[in-house]
Amino acid sequence: MAQAGLPDGRLLAVIGDEDTVTGFLLAGVGNVDLRRKGNFLVVNEKTTVKKVEDAFKDYTQREDIAILLINQHVANLIRHLINNYARPVPAILEIPSKEHPYDPNQDSILLRVKNVLGGDLGAA
Amino acid sequence: MYGFEALWFNIKDGYLDGVVRGHRSGLLTTADYNNLCQCETLDDIKLNLTGTDYGPYLANEPSPLHTTTIVDRCTEKLVDDWNKMRANADEPLGEFMDYCTYGHMIDNVVLIVTGTLHERDVHELLEKCNPLGMFDSIATLAVASSMRELYRLVLVDTPLAPYFSESLSAEDLDEMNIEIMRNTLYKAYLDDFAAFCRRLGGATAEVMGGLLSFEADRRALNITLNSIGTELTRDDRRKLYSNFGLLYPHGHHELAAAEDFDQIRSAMEKCPPYQAIFTKLGFGESQMLDKVLFEEEVRRLCDTFEQQFHYSVFFAYMRLREQEIRNIMWIAECVAQDQKIRINDGIVYLF
Amino acid sequence: MSNRYVCVPTVTVLAMMKARLTGAVKGHALLKKKADALTLRFRQILKKIVQTKQEMGKTMRAGAFALTEAKYAAGEFATTVLDSVESASVRVNAQQDNVAGVKIPRFERVMTGASDTKMHLTGLGKGGQQVQYCRKAYMTAVELLVELASLQTAFLTLDEAIKTTNRRVNALDNVVIPKLENTIAYIKGELDELEREEFFRLKKVQANKRKVADELVKRRLRENGPTPNGAKGALHDMMPGVDQDADIVF
Repeated sequence: MAQAGLPDGRLLAVIGDEDTVTGFLLAGVGNVDLRRKGNFLVVNEKTTVKKVEDAFKDYTQREDIAILLINQHVANLIRHLINNYARPVPAILEIPSKEHPYDPNQDSILLRVKNVLGGDLGAA
Repeated sequence: MYGFEALWFNIKDGYLDGVVRGHRSGLLTTADYNNLCQCETLDDIKLNLTGTDYGPYLANEPSPLHTTTIVDRCTEKLVDDWNKMRANADEPLGEFMDYCTYGHMIDNVVLIVTGTLHERDVHELLEKCNPLGMFDSIATLAVASSMRELYRLVLVDTPLAPYFSESLSAEDLDEMNIEIMRNTLYKAYLDDFAAFCRRLGGATAEVMGGLLSFEADRRALNITLNSIGTELTRDDRRKLYSNFGLLYPHGHHELAAAEDFDQIRSAMEKCPPYQAIFTKLGFGESQMLDKVLFEEEVRRLCDTFEQQFHYSVFFAYMRLREQEIRNIMWIAECVAQDQKIRINDGIVYLF
Repeated sequence: MSNRYVCVPTVTVLAMMKARLTGAVKGHALLKKKADALTLRFRQILKKIVQTKQEMGKTMRAGAFALTEAKYAAGEFATTVLDSVESASVRVNAQQDNVAGVKIPRFERVMTGASDTKMHLTGLGKGGQQVQYCRKAYMTAVELLVELASLQTAFLTLDEAIKTTNRRVNALDNVVIPKLENTIAYIKGELDELEREEFFRLKKVQANKRKVADELVKRRLRENGPTPNGAKGALHDMMPGVDQDADIVF
């Protein structure tokens, strides 16, 4: 809780491919603390699902993270975790990546929105 | 000098001169680009490229393709060409070719060094290095834990050592911003390369002199443009400019003092060759500058092939191929990201 | 009997139940209002979420493309960026909005002003402009994403709150209120029943007394002989309580 009390706010975490992570780091969301623990994970072909899962669990349990950005194609790897994730904070946002344009039909949150609205996203 | 060069040139370097000119004719033409621009998918691009020099490199790539794969394979082609030529090169052509790759070497060293300081995996870093800038001891760079140690243990054995010792003190190494270090090294490298070309003399000195001063001036321009609004002081800026080129030394004074694009512009326009470039740009349009400069560079590089008996063709070939790979990357990205309207913004036609 | 509360049917309990019923009805109305307010907000948010998500698709595409442009101009700079990370200059503050008593976290982007000069100098030698351009594109994306995150948390929180509220409304509507009504009806019924029994008992007692009195009169008549004049008077003498008899206590 000590970190959450920081006056300058909480962090955004990023899990995604190199381009996405680079972009967001450029924008200045990156943070590496004294123990060299970062708030971002670059996922490439060699990254194991286990690693992504661990990062996801880690980031969702850290007190100093408010928003977790995750590439949709990465989210698909750990869909089971995301679907079971119910807490509102940190908020999980699925974002498109360069090579995988945004598909609303895979987004866990949008699927719930869709359920509430009764099926049709376009009409909303 | 011209006549005498022709006497020995073909005996020593004629073969490679022929080879490089052959490679040059393998570069993509406007027609090829037009075909590439029509592609709908990355597989189409691959199909189009199989008819070119890149064919053998891309032929065995399975789908789905990524833009990075295409770019990597194309780079591989350049690296293979380059290494083959380097292996056959006699001195001083060999040294000249080494000089051409020092720029990449600087990038690689910087990359490994920053990566090591941040405890990144060495193999991962090595994969990201530009293959043209590889040298034998590069992997050992990762053993060092501080910049000073790095210099003492490893860098002294590399060709880059003089650049480090000339321009950076040990204290600098520890706390310097990595980008400033990179550019300081690059400046030292360009100065050295230019001096080397002057020593070679003849047509090489003449043609390379032109190319390198363009490169130096372009860097000076870019550094100025990119450091507007940052904490980089005038003197810092001044230190990063190379000690030759058309802008040296008066243009540099003006550039160092420039605070916005229009001041840069007025400094640059005092040089007739650059005036022509800047007239192509509207006022305040700094976005297009990169492309215009790329085009100018390509034009100059192509011109080198018009002269005989000099080494600049090798440098030009490397640069042209690199530009071509950038073009391919651009096209592939545009196709992959479905932004085909922008496709023409990034292609610099070589011929 | 499952659909009413177990209680002793007395007037006191009746009053208590009636009070509970008014309370429940009032609570129901309030909760319903709350649910409506929440749903209203919820609907707005849903609309916005879908819009923002689609917008995000576009913004991210623009960002990715800006990154391509930067790569084109500056070469491979990703590793430099990854390695120059120090302290986040963009963070979010979580604040709380209050919608009908439900606390909804709302994120706000804050620039901490942490030194990110390293990023400013990326691509100094070449392509720095494109890198900065890309940086701006991603800043916009971050802004949008923070907004989206707010909406999304609001969505989740409201969804949960609406479910709870609706559950409560339904519980009141379908269980508590009918049960109370049933109980009240039951108590009323029982009380009526008691009253009727009481009335009947009174009647019975009265009839009984009358019978006893009649018999007394008859016996006297038989003993004393018929006295047409005195019969009535004698009856009255014998049953002083028949006319003003109000409280019969067993």
